[in-house]
Amino acid sequence: MMRKLRSLWLRLRGLFGIRDENDEFSVELESHIAMHTEDGIRSGLAPQEARRRALIRLGGAEQTRQAWRERRTLPWVESLVQDVRFGFRMLARNRAFTTVVVLTLAIGIGVSATAFTWINGVLLQPLGGVADPGRLVTLESVTPGGAWVPNSYPDYIDFRQHLKLVNGIAVTKPAAFSVGKEDHADRVWGELVSGNFFAVLGVIPEQGRVFLPAEYGDTPGAFPVVVISDRYWRAHLNTDPDIVGKTLRINQHELTIVGVTPPAFHGSMPVTAYDLWIPYMQQPVLNGVSTWMLRDRHNRNMLGIARLKQGVTADQARQELKVLADRMAIANADVSEGMSATLLPLWKSPHGPQGLLVGPLRILMGVCILVLLIVCANVANLQLARATVREKEFSARLALGAGRSRLARQVLTESLLLTFTGAALGVAATPWMSRALRYLMPPGPMQQLVAMDTRPDLAVLAFTVGLCVFAAAAAGLAPALQVSRMNLSVRMNEGGRSGSAGRRNRLRSVLVASEVALALVALVGAGLFARGFQSTLHIDPGFEPNNVLLSQFYLNTSGYNLQQRKEFCRSLSERMQAAPGVTDVAYSDGVPLGFEPSWWEELKIEGYAPRPNENMNIFRNVISPGYLPLMHIPIVEGRNFTEQDNEADDSPAVMIVNESFARHFFPNGDPIGHKVHGWGSWFRIVGVAKDAKYHYLGESNVPYFYVPFRQLYRTDMSLAFYVRTQRDPESVLSTLRVQTRAIDPTVTVFDAVPLKEFIGASLYPQKLAASLMAILGAIAVLLAAVGLYSVMAYWVAQRTQEIGVRMALGAQPRHVLRMVVLQGLKLTAGGLAAGTLLALAMSRLVSAVSFTNSGMGSNAKLMGDGGADPLIFLAAALFLCALATMAAYLPARRAASIDPMEALRTE
Amino acid sequence: MALQTLESMGPLHGYGLARRIEQTSGDLLQLNYGTLYPALLKLEQEGFIASRWGVSENNRRAKFYELTKAGQRQLKRCAADWEQTTAILARFLTPAEGA
Repeated sequence: MMRKLRSLWLRLRGLFGIRDENDEFSVELESHIAMHTEDGIRSGLAPQEARRRALIRLGGAEQTRQAWRERRTLPWVESLVQDVRFGFRMLARNRAFTTVVVLTLAIGIGVSATAFTWINGVLLQPLGGVADPGRLVTLESVTPGGAWVPNSYPDYIDFRQHLKLVNGIAVTKPAAFSVGKEDHADRVWGELVSGNFFAVLGVIPEQGRVFLPAEYGDTPGAFPVVVISDRYWRAHLNTDPDIVGKTLRINQHELTIVGVTPPAFHGSMPVTAYDLWIPYMQQPVLNGVSTWMLRDRHNRNMLGIARLKQGVTADQARQELKVLADRMAIANADVSEGMSATLLPLWKSPHGPQGLLVGPLRILMGVCILVLLIVCANVANLQLARATVREKEFSARLALGAGRSRLARQVLTESLLLTFTGAALGVAATPWMSRALRYLMPPGPMQQLVAMDTRPDLAVLAFTVGLCVFAAAAAGLAPALQVSRMNLSVRMNEGGRSGSAGRRNRLRSVLVASEVALALVALVGAGLFARGFQSTLHIDPGFEPNNVLLSQFYLNTSGYNLQQRKEFCRSLSERMQAAPGVTDVAYSDGVPLGFEPSWWEELKIEGYAPRPNENMNIFRNVISPGYLPLMHIPIVEGRNFTEQDNEADDSPAVMIVNESFARHFFPNGDPIGHKVHGWGSWFRIVGVAKDAKYHYLGESNVPYFYVPFRQLYRTDMSLAFYVRTQRDPESVLSTLRVQTRAIDPTVTVFDAVPLKEFIGASLYPQKLAASLMAILGAIAVLLAAVGLYSVMAYWVAQRTQEIGVRMALGAQPRHVLRMVVLQGLKLTAGGLAAGTLLALAMSRLVSAVSFTNSGMGSNAKLMGDGGADPLIFLAAALFLCALATMAAYLPARRAASIDPMEALRTE
Repeated sequence: MALQTLESMGPLHGYGLARRIEQTSGDLLQLNYGTLYPALLKLEQEGFIASRWGVSENNRRAKFYELTKAGQRQLKRCAADWEQTTAILARFLTPAEGA
């Protein structure tokens, strides 16, 4: 073994410095011959004859030298080096061909590797730094209407106690915290989690510890501890090695840092990076939430994650959970009637950004396969065309004594050189493109939260590259082998009029037609998405978002209690109302068309008997009296809220409903004055507001209602503050800051954006799908055009002689032109027919993809109506026809301008 | 064969080696001298023989090959193998005794 290695090493070394050794061997050989000759002379031969015999006995000096050389080095490596050199020379000579193939491959491989990397990061391996992520599932409560919603803490306690098939359930509530001293606090996102959170996920801390079993309890206010992320530790705490045991001031309370998570761990939500983990029992301390709310089954705000036991399938665990949830729904009929619960794979969770990404990514995956196919067809085409042109070269080499396998090896080397260059470019671009996911993320606070493993997955990369290389190599090799099987003299004499060209042309026609088909699918897809997006843009949201500045406050992080918050809102709105240029001021809990979840309340409506299983959870907003006028949402009946609808005992609880609410629950009567039960008390309907869009522009009208801020605002609600201005809303931002500071210097204005921009977020999934499709559609069309053109050009070049003969026999240039263009169009027509069928099937498939699976926008689709819009199909087909005509026309014109004599002489 | 010759004769140049093998075999082996050189190269690469430049009996520059330690070991091994092989073959080929 060692001997073999040693000799291999010597032979490898022999590859370099060959010259000297060759000379040395020549000397040795020469002395051998000389000695032999001398012996011959001594035995009485003439010197000439002696030398001749010596050479014969040697078997030829040159042959010996050759045999020696082959042993001296590794001949196949040598010929490989030659092939590679030759290949590079060939590629450098056909610069246009090389550039097109390399760029095509680079684009195809880069784009699809990027897409697969995203899909991998978002859908397949959503959580980093956890143990055995395959056994983790999302636990969702299910409303009677079938929508998935988060869980309440008391429900969680029941789940935790009774489920036997899971190795623990944890719950978590994402939240913003303010970290640091009052006057210069940072806002940091984290999760309020059940104590067993890290145990269920299986996270091993990098420093210190995670929460102990003693901290798993359900005692409100207990456990003032925090676990921080590696990222936060490095960025904000100077990577302090003694950080464990120190305290962090969070929402004006000192919490002890007990541990640091490993760098790969970013929390329980895919694609999102959190920095702090705090026991949920700190919620009353940090956010001033009353402790009764932790015990309220209504308060469904906790995302659940469970770990399946070894050997238990998701179906078995789901069954167990359903039985338990059904029992709980009966036991707690007052709040949970008709509710159920289910387990979902992590990526299916409707909460967080990946809920929005799933739809677009799936479509992206399909489109990438499309692009990859086009790339393969294209490269195969170009290779085939080139091999045809090189038939003569191959024949000449064979005639000069090249072995067939040697020829095949050479072609293969060239193909591989080509594809690997392309693949290397594509792969190099992948990590860079992967990072672009950040730009595709919804605007606003989520931007800073994005964290994804953008390292390309090796298996995926290997597959993509392998596919392209295979296509290119096969397409390059097949003609070479075919040539090698042919009768040489016939080939050499025949010139370009080859008999085999017909068959190969057929294969190429199929390839071109399929390219056209794929391009049509891509174009139609892009058109449909763009149209869907366009039509959504024209939907009237039902309110006026222009000239409104929206800012969000996190007062709980400043240690405000409920009364202080209301007081803050009132005095800030008074001050802003008086500011110049301001026309209206309002505040509310939820923001329409935003990304934050919208909340609902289960209602009982006097005089309305719900159908069995009817979903009585109605979405709502908690608003100040100025809200509806500021938004320009008209009151169609009754009255708006006033400052008199307040928390005073003698002020009755009131509510405004929208038109859909009125139509649905009071089909034959005036809703004003009717009583509605929610939050444990009765509200009287005092007004009806016009319908608007609440969650997605594409949604159909849903029942909705408003309750007064002063009567219903609670500590766990958000606070959005709106200022309508006469001019650019940004102009009042400085005033807002000054006024806020004047009231309380510890409060910072966060996330102040024009409402117009903010609601643009609701268009995000559609915008994403439309722009991705547009980009990829353009790539696909470009590639198809290149393919079409190259094939036509080669086809014409091949037929130069034939065209020359035709023209010598009297064909006019326009005849030639027509012939070539018609040929191109024939191919295109075939492709279009196939493509139309494919595109129809695709549009049907995609129109079923809704971009969110949360309960809020179940009616919203990615694509607008009219999945089979004939106009788009027609436009795409026409466009491709025009493209094909162009691709055929250019070479045809060249063919038509051929001088017949010239053409006939080209042999 | 080359190794055996080198052992019995000491260092030799290529031509001498070829002649020697021819003589030893009683001219039964008429090998093409040219094939000897790649074989020598192989043995050298594997470390069984070493080579150096020297002067032949009639004052001609030539490359001399000689056995290395590893070559001697290899020769013993080969000889043992060969004897074993021939012994086995002999048992098959000679008529069985007392059958």
